[in-house]
Amino acid sequence: MNDQSRVGPMNWLGSFAVLCALVALWWMASNAGWVSRVFLPTPQATFASLLDGLNLSGGSGNGELLAFTQATVGRMVQGWLLASLFGVLLGAAIGVSPAVRAWVQPTLEFIRPLPASALLPLAISIFGLNPGMVLFVVAFGAMWPVLLATVHGFAAVEPRLSEVARCLQMSRAAFVWKMGLPNAMPDILAGMRLALTIALIVAVVGEMIASQSGLGQAILLAARAFRASDLFAGIVLLGLIGFVSNALLALAEKRLLRWQQP
Amino acid sequence: MTERGFFRWLRPWIFPAVLIAAFEWYARRASALGSDALAPPSAAAKAFAGAALDGSLWQATGFTLGTAALGLLLGAVLGIALGLVLGLSRRAAQLGSLSIEVLRPVPSVALIPLAMLTFGFGVRMELAIVAFATFWPLLVLVQSAVQQIEPRLLEVSRVLGLSARERAFKIVLPAIVPRLFVALRLGVAVALVVAVTVEIAANPNGMGYAMMIAQQSFDPALMLAWLGWIGVVGFAVNAGMLLLQRVVARRMGVQP
Amino acid sequence: MNAAADFLHFDGVAIRLGGREILSPTSFDVARGEFVCIVGPSGCGKTTLLRAASGLVTASAGEVRRNGVKMTEPSREVAFVFQDYGRALLPWRTVEGNVSLALEAAGVPASERAPRIADVLGKVGLGKHAQKFPVQLSGGMQQRAQIARCLAQKPELMMMDEPFGALDALTRQSLQDELARLVRETGLTVLFVTHDLEEAIYLGDRVIALQANPGPGRPSLARMIDVKIPRPRDQLTTKEHPEYLQLRRELFAFIEQGHD
Repeated sequence: MNDQSRVGPMNWLGSFAVLCALVALWWMASNAGWVSRVFLPTPQATFASLLDGLNLSGGSGNGELLAFTQATVGRMVQGWLLASLFGVLLGAAIGVSPAVRAWVQPTLEFIRPLPASALLPLAISIFGLNPGMVLFVVAFGAMWPVLLATVHGFAAVEPRLSEVARCLQMSRAAFVWKMGLPNAMPDILAGMRLALTIALIVAVVGEMIASQSGLGQAILLAARAFRASDLFAGIVLLGLIGFVSNALLALAEKRLLRWQQP
Repeated sequence: MTERGFFRWLRPWIFPAVLIAAFEWYARRASALGSDALAPPSAAAKAFAGAALDGSLWQATGFTLGTAALGLLLGAVLGIALGLVLGLSRRAAQLGSLSIEVLRPVPSVALIPLAMLTFGFGVRMELAIVAFATFWPLLVLVQSAVQQIEPRLLEVSRVLGLSARERAFKIVLPAIVPRLFVALRLGVAVALVVAVTVEIAANPNGMGYAMMIAQQSFDPALMLAWLGWIGVVGFAVNAGMLLLQRVVARRMGVQP
Repeated sequence: MNAAADFLHFDGVAIRLGGREILSPTSFDVARGEFVCIVGPSGCGKTTLLRAASGLVTASAGEVRRNGVKMTEPSREVAFVFQDYGRALLPWRTVEGNVSLALEAAGVPASERAPRIADVLGKVGLGKHAQKFPVQLSGGMQQRAQIARCLAQKPELMMMDEPFGALDALTRQSLQDELARLVRETGLTVLFVTHDLEEAIYLGDRVIALQANPGPGRPSLARMIDVKIPRPRDQLTTKEHPEYLQLRRELFAFIEQGHD
């Protein structure tokens, strides 16, 4: 088809140029007043808010954004770790047994489309408005993609490998640990990636409605007070969190699944 | 054999029925002890019937579904259009890649306050966020689908001298229809989830908001009714899309 | 009764699957150290016979006895080499890891595994590729890795289900010779299923020909031929040996008959 060999600096440059063009458009739109600065702060104002908030502007800022970021990231990561742990354990327990799967799978399929944030009112009802409640919903909501992926991963072991296990007279535990789990790994990692996205979302929404300190609440308050540059600074940070966490996980996935690449 | 068939039909319901029965028993005990955080499923069912009868159920459901659909329409049209362009042109894909990588990770919920600021409350705000959320998966999936079109077909279009428009409508679009429907199915799921989430977080309309209000009014029965209904609606919509996707795949000759 | 002759005994083994009789009652013996090839057209039940012999499938009638004991379940002492080697190797483990699986299953302590793995990999010529993943290996090398894992089980008996069927002709030839050498060195008893008549004659001490759909009351086992060609054999001279050519003619004629 097209010339496949032109990967390299030229393409990065072109891509970077396009991004710069978009930023330039932003600059024009807000500085020239095409879009009101109430909704679209200038890039320089956003940048200044970022520096202030992250305490990088030489002492005059309040450094709040840093604390908010830590709070949100902390919630996201803790909830995600809990979700992954329980998701894999429960998923494995359900996935290894075709009998259990048959009874339970339809219920799991019903829960799959439910928005994780929908559990917030119930959790507020039970636990009240506190950080633990948000963490609970983050963990509970993020658990389902991992659980479902794990069940699927364990359910679909290559039949030939099951026969090899029988020929070697492997114990059931050895089969689950040496064949079931590695076989499920690609699915589990995909589930964990999805879980991370959900963890971030629920953390932000939880902060918004439960008035918990964090980026979610910060941007909500900024919007209410018409502090557009602070709002955008918060959005930038949330985007950054999403980007970095996904990139890290993708890297880990690549390492763990390097047996897939020839 | 009929007994076997009956049991197979019944089996998916047994586990949830047991769970609901257990919850019923637990919630009744809890209310008896004075807790107003939970309500038994029986009370939730009554509250549900009430909402259905007085119209609030349909109004809120209609709002959520309608807004989600509109947002999906916008996001899908834009996402598919850009996906086609980026899929057909490697140069365009390379040029756009960095910008996409920078903008895509922004969680749609982060834009809720911005949308609030710009549009106030109501349909437009929710629609905008749903559009943003559904734009990305559709862009990525359509781009990937176009890139995976059998190269032979595109060579045929060059040999036949088809114009870009003809090529798009006669070769490219039909070729990606099965994967397009997979992407749309995902888009529908995302649209619904994001719509409900926006309603829970901010927008005073729709199913999510109705559930929040019920909780804030200390009406756990109604809150649970909404929770259950949201689950049912989500499940039904997704199941419907799955069916549609399968029908399309069969009609377009995709090997299962 | 000669003890060696009674190593593996098929006694009226019949197999029904999905309502059809795949294999009608078949009986024969395999002596210790013998290389028996089973040939036949598709549907004659040769793969099913092998799977029944290793315990992966239960016979509907008759039994398979090894050392006088009826075989019902797979055992570590009976190694099975599958035709679809790609699916029988763990893709997430290296060649070394795959061979190690057999030792782990047998409870060999970790300290003893490395030398045994190295030994068996050396035997199949994969010593230099121990750290590669299956996806990085060619078809022939993947099959050798599977054979290495089977050898690591220190089996009494090795079942091979069309092991070279999915490989190209050159790889097949070199693997045939390697297998012959391995079997000579280890004294393994081998049951080798193949659809390739020439391969069967080249490798086997005995060739058993099965027929498909024999008809009610007639046996699946149609011919049993001893291959009296001296060993070691090689691809050039053996295939010009008069005995080889004659057996070839006999078996071809028989297969042609079966196609009427």
